[in-house]
Amino acid sequence: MNLIDKLATWEDQISPGISACVGCNVELTLRTCMKVMGPNTIFAIPPGCMGGVGVVGWDKKSGAKTPVFFPLLDNVASMLAGIKLHYEHIGRDVNVVAFAGDGATVDAGMQCLSGAAERGDKIIYICYDNEGYMNTGYQRSGSTTKGAWTSTTPVNHSGQGGKRQNKKDFPLIMAMHDIPYMATMNPAYIPDMVRKLEKAKEIKTGLVYLHVYNPCVTGWGFQSDFSIEVSRLAVESNFAPLYEVENGKFKMSVEIRNPKPVKEFLSRFKKFSHLTDEDIQELQEWTDFKINRLKHLCTL
Amino acid sequence: MSEVQVLNGNKAAAIGAALCKPGVIAAYPITPQTPLVEYLAEFAADGRISSSVCEVESELSAMSVLTGASLAGSRTFTATSSQGLALMYEPYFRASTLRLPVVMAIANREMISPQTLWGGPQDSLTVRDAGWLQLYVEDNQEILDSIIMAFRLAEDPRVLLPMNVCYDGFYLSHSAERVEIPSQELVDAFIPEYQPQHIILDPKRPMAVDPLTNGYLLTEYRMKHMMAQQNALKLIDELDQEFGKMFGREYGGSIETYFCEDADFILVTMGSMTGAAKDCVDLAREQGIPIGLLKVRMVRPFPAARIAAVLKGKRAYGVIDRNVSFGWNTGIIYQEICASMYRSNQNVLNVPFICGLGGEDITKAHINYAIQKIQERAEGKISQDTIWLNREVEIV
Repeated sequence: MNLIDKLATWEDQISPGISACVGCNVELTLRTCMKVMGPNTIFAIPPGCMGGVGVVGWDKKSGAKTPVFFPLLDNVASMLAGIKLHYEHIGRDVNVVAFAGDGATVDAGMQCLSGAAERGDKIIYICYDNEGYMNTGYQRSGSTTKGAWTSTTPVNHSGQGGKRQNKKDFPLIMAMHDIPYMATMNPAYIPDMVRKLEKAKEIKTGLVYLHVYNPCVTGWGFQSDFSIEVSRLAVESNFAPLYEVENGKFKMSVEIRNPKPVKEFLSRFKKFSHLTDEDIQELQEWTDFKINRLKHLCTL
Repeated sequence: MSEVQVLNGNKAAAIGAALCKPGVIAAYPITPQTPLVEYLAEFAADGRISSSVCEVESELSAMSVLTGASLAGSRTFTATSSQGLALMYEPYFRASTLRLPVVMAIANREMISPQTLWGGPQDSLTVRDAGWLQLYVEDNQEILDSIIMAFRLAEDPRVLLPMNVCYDGFYLSHSAERVEIPSQELVDAFIPEYQPQHIILDPKRPMAVDPLTNGYLLTEYRMKHMMAQQNALKLIDELDQEFGKMFGREYGGSIETYFCEDADFILVTMGSMTGAAKDCVDLAREQGIPIGLLKVRMVRPFPAARIAAVLKGKRAYGVIDRNVSFGWNTGIIYQEICASMYRSNQNVLNVPFICGLGGEDITKAHINYAIQKIQERAEGKISQDTIWLNREVEIV
C-alpha cells in the first residue's frame, strides 16, 4: 500500500474539531502520529498545547478515540513505563505513546525520560518541539533557539534581549542514551514521518524517541498559511535536520545538497525580528558546526 | 502453613507485600527503607514473586510508574522515607485523587534540616491531608499484617484509595523480632483479585482519563473522596476482626486501647514508642495509678469518634508526639485529638508532649515523667504548655 492509500485508509484517532490554532502544524503531526499508531494505543498528553486544545477531553467529552490521559508535566515517561509494565505483566501487546511538548520533555520531564530510556522501557516518546511553553503564551524553554524573543526573554525598546543561551540538542542527548531508535521528524515531510513512525512501532527492544520540529504560528509570529513552508525551510537550511539513529548508527534521512542560508529561515518569524546581522551570522556558524558534527557522526 | 521467622521491619514489609502478589513494584532506595527495596529485588530474582519490578531513577518516578500501572489495572506496591516522600508529593496527591489503590510502606524518617536520617513520622504526617489512608504500627508483626490488610482496604470498591503503612525508621525498620508469616493460601483467601471498574487505560475500553474538570464537578469528586475516607474508617474495624478470625491476630482497627475502661488518666501514643509505654502503664498500675493507653493507628481517616469515646469523662490525658506541628507549638496528633474532643463537645484536661524527634530515644524514664505530668495536669498544678520530654528528663 502506498502512503496516500495508507493515510486515506487508516482511521483518524483524534476527534474532529479540536481547538488548535489555525494553521497549527502540531495538530497535523498529532493526527499523523496517531493514525500510524492506530487504535491499539494508549497515549499520554502532558499539560501543553495538545492537552489545552481538548485532545484529552473537556466537559465529559473526549478528544481522542483511543485511551488518553494527562500525565504530570514532569512524569510522562514514568507513567507510561508503568502502563507498559502492566501490559507486559499480563502478556498483552499495546502501543504506549507519549505526545509531549518540549517543555515537558527537555526541561521538567527530562529525568523521567532519561530514566526510562536507560532502563529500556518499551514506550514510544514523541516530542513536538515548538521551542517553548506555547500553551501559556510562549515562555522560554531549554529548547528555545538563542536570541529568540519569548515572554520570559523579552526584547527591550532598543531591540536588545532575547534568549541568551543555545538550544539544548535534545535529539542528540536521547541518541546518546543508546536507545534502539531515535529520529527527528518534520510536518513538511509526512512520508518521512510515516516511515519513521512505522519503524518505531515495530521496535520491541527499548524506548523509541521521536523529535518533531514544529514552528508555532502563534508564538513565533508568522502567517498560518506558511506553516508547512517555514517547517520545510528549517530542514532546507540545516537548522533542524532530518536524521535517524538506529542501534547507534547515525543516518541522514534527507540530504540537503545546497542548504539555504539560515537567515532565510529566521527572517520568517517575528520572534527573531530584532536580531542583528552578527546575531544571524552566529546562528549560521552554530548551524554549520552542528550539521558538520552530525555528518561526521553519520560516517562512524 | 504459617512459619515463624526473626525479621526486621523492612523484611516484614517486603514479605507482606510479596504475599499480596502486586503486578508492578517500583521503589527507589533511601535510608532507612533501602533494605526493603533490596529484599523485593531479591525475591524477584529468585522467582519468589512474579511482579514486574521497575528500577526507577527517583521516588518521583516510583510513584509515577505505579500511577500508570494502577491506571492500567495492576495491583501496585512501593516504599519510601522522608525526602523520598517529599519528592513524590506531586504524583502522591494525584494517586489519591485519581482513586488508585496503591499501597506504600513508609519507614518513617525525620525531615531535614538539620541534616538527619533517623526515625520519626514527620514525613508522612506532614502529607496527611493529601487524600491517602494512613496507618501507623507498633511492631514488625503489625507491619506485615497491616500491609495485607492495606491492600484489601485500599482496593475495596467502597474505598478505592491509596494507603500508607507507616513504621518508625530504625526502631522497626532495622530491629529484628519474632514475626509469624502467614501461608500464601490464607492471604489469597483474604484478598480477592484487583479488578478496577472505576477508571482504566485499556484500548478495549477507551476513555479520556482526567480531562480538565470544572469546579462544580471537582467538588463532587472531593465529596466522594471524603465519603470513601469515612467508609474506610468503618471498614478498618470490621476488617481487623475478619483478619483476626482468619489469622489469629487483631489490632483494634483504627485505635488500640490498653487498660482504658477503668482509667482516670490516658496516655496517647503512636508507633513503636507504644511498647515501652505499655510497660510504663503496667508499672504505674502496680503503683496504683489508674492510667490507660490509647494507641492511634489510623491517622487518615482520623478515628475522632472512637477516640473521644475513650477519653470521655477522664480526669486528664496526655499525647506524646514524635513530630511537630509548626505554628501550633505542639505535635500533630495532639491537635487532631483536641479537634476530636471539641467536635464531640467534651472538655477534658490535657497536656501535649513532644519526644523522640530525629530518632532520639523515647525511654521509660520519659514516659514515666509524662504519666506524672498528666496527673499533675488533672490537679491543676501545670499548664497546657507543651512539654519537650527530651529536654526536661535527664536520662541516667
